[in-house]
Amino acid sequence: MPVDWGADMGKDECKTMLDALNKVTACYRHLVSALGSTSDSQNLREELKKTRKKAQELAVANRTKLTALLKDKSISNDDRAEYERLWVLFTSSMEILEVDMKRSLEIGQSFPLKVPTRHFIQTGMTGSTTTVAARAMSVQNMKYEADASIDTADLKDLETEIAQVDQMMEEMEMKVQVAPWAVEAKQEAGAELKSTVSVGNSSVGVISVCEEEPKEGGEGEAGLMKVFAGIIFTAVLLIAGILGYLVINL
Amino acid sequence: MTIKFIRDHGQHYRPRMACLAKVEAMVLEMQDSKSGVKSSEQKLNITSIPHVVTGQDILAWIANHMKVDAQEAQTIGTMLVAYGFIYPLQDHKKLILKPDVSLYRFQTPYFWPVQKWKADNTDYAIYLAKRNIRKKGTLDVYEQEYYKNLHKWLNHKWDFIVMQAKEQYRAGKERNKADRVVFDCQERAYWIVHRPPPRTHSAMDYGVDRLIDPNAEENKTFDYYRRIIIFTQQAIMRSKVKSTVSLGAILKHMTTYKDHDPFLAPCLPSNPWQTDDSSYWDLNMRNVEIPTKMRVERWSFSFFELLNDPRGRTDFKVFLKKEFSGENLAFWEAAEEMKWGTASSISEKAQTIFKTFLAPGAPRWINIDGRTMGLTVKGLEHPHRYVLDAAQTHIFMLMKKDTFYRYLKSPVYKDIQKKALSPAPHNFTPSQLEQNAQNRKPGINPIIIWQQEEEERAKAAAAAGPIDIKKLMASKLDRK
Repeated sequence: MPVDWGADMGKDECKTMLDALNKVTACYRHLVSALGSTSDSQNLREELKKTRKKAQELAVANRTKLTALLKDKSISNDDRAEYERLWVLFTSSMEILEVDMKRSLEIGQSFPLKVPTRHFIQTGMTGSTTTVAARAMSVQNMKYEADASIDTADLKDLETEIAQVDQMMEEMEMKVQVAPWAVEAKQEAGAELKSTVSVGNSSVGVISVCEEEPKEGGEGEAGLMKVFAGIIFTAVLLIAGILGYLVINL
Repeated sequence: MTIKFIRDHGQHYRPRMACLAKVEAMVLEMQDSKSGVKSSEQKLNITSIPHVVTGQDILAWIANHMKVDAQEAQTIGTMLVAYGFIYPLQDHKKLILKPDVSLYRFQTPYFWPVQKWKADNTDYAIYLAKRNIRKKGTLDVYEQEYYKNLHKWLNHKWDFIVMQAKEQYRAGKERNKADRVVFDCQERAYWIVHRPPPRTHSAMDYGVDRLIDPNAEENKTFDYYRRIIIFTQQAIMRSKVKSTVSLGAILKHMTTYKDHDPFLAPCLPSNPWQTDDSSYWDLNMRNVEIPTKMRVERWSFSFFELLNDPRGRTDFKVFLKKEFSGENLAFWEAAEEMKWGTASSISEKAQTIFKTFLAPGAPRWINIDGRTMGLTVKGLEHPHRYVLDAAQTHIFMLMKKDTFYRYLKSPVYKDIQKKALSPAPHNFTPSQLEQNAQNRKPGINPIIIWQQEEEERAKAAAAAGPIDIKKLMASKLDRK
């Protein structure tokens, strides 16, 4: 039935676009948290600008798609509930983005790049945020082409963009009649733990340093366990190497 | 989506937090590589993270820069940590500045406390979800409670929260290891300041939100100047008290009430707000049989205290019954009832009071001077709420100057002083405190208490009707 198929396509498209917006929002937050610290630099300001522009494009695209879907009166109740849920996802993303943009304006104004008497806060972060920005822009490597006065020039752009986002949110609230509190979440509490199969692997070998204060001997035991694991791992590697050598020789 | 365009004229602005801007300026000066605080490196398993400072270095810098002594520098340093501009690396839940080699790091400007931006519940939910992922489901007890509550309150946004938490976690992994560790520590420190663990308090705690934006300048219109003029005119006309008199009164109040203030002296047995143990409230209920020693001592401070405390009032009534002079207190209570009662019952109450207390030859005739009596009787023709005020004040002064001192020397009072309880102070261990926090239950419904009091009042009214002197004398004559 062509109508249902079209609706499904609409839903999937929406979901992918929302996922993209979600990703860009998360990366933007990481970038803004590095502003004003020792990992701040001209590159960071440029990354912020690019991420912001991408976020805005995605936001406008999402908004047109979702409003078109919601305005359609001929959809079923289930579909309507689903679209309302997607709408709540979209508006929550936009709220976070708006707050982050306003904060980046404030912090950017108080920490200009070129003034030598203005020192950056020594937070301990020294790496660059290139990889985060690359993830946001979905590219392999970031290219930097901005000039030296990006921090002041960009702030004016930022102000106009914040005004645009404000206006967009106001329009959205006025025009689309969705009751956000009536939406029921599909995920239950603790849902984030279920799909962490891929993310779980990374914690092996990550220094769990935020637990560095002594915790009743549990920390000592955990450290010992890590040492054991390391020894066993190297032993396995050695055995595998020896076996391989024997196989080749035989 | 939160309702952004709030048109309910409610209170939505945070109060002025001017100290934050001043502290920011100081933190910025600490960053100067030449004249700022010396920083070193923190060595972890494989990497080393720069920009770590020791507590004593911070203290020395503050003492030098602001030209204060060590204790003042310690207080200022603790303030820096409590607000979240500097966070401790060891013992991260206790936000104080230790004057030794314990390590601290500066917080990034994004996580600084700002008056304009409130620490949002949505952000906290995202943080807890991220922490859940990182620690594989083993959050702290208070964090688990928060998580459950937030899941209930923010249920409509929960999909978004889970999605955003996963994305932020993945985006965080794009940075190098040292930066990842630093970011985790920063975020954790931020949320310890804004959502403090149990039995600690947050420096960002404030009272009520304000109605108008305290940072917005008020337009100086005609109305504004008119208000200022009226205010200053009234201020000139006010009668002023000499400062020796008012300061003397404050001093006297302080010396009498010093031991009864729960902020200055420890509350016996223990302050329920701090230890979650409600025995203090149970021992001091309105109609308790045996009051506590502190309560009884309080009755001796002033007659007003005695009358205000319901237990004290019952005790005073017992004393007056023995002395056969209960009519003063009965009249005072009846006048209070008229003052606080419903408007429709005023005229009938006025009638009963006149018949019982004020009419010549009334069964419980009170002894007030002629002028007041005349005024009151005339006023009772057209009764209003405060018609008995003059008589009530007169009776109050009579009781205070005469009966009160006799009461304090009477055997009734001495008896109750001896019987009064003095509970031993509690000494809870932290695990017991956790237990108490979990065993909290709501107290007695105030409606039930009110019903009990009504029953008692009805019983008392029926039992002690107006003592008819003629009948009493008749019964005594009979016996003879």
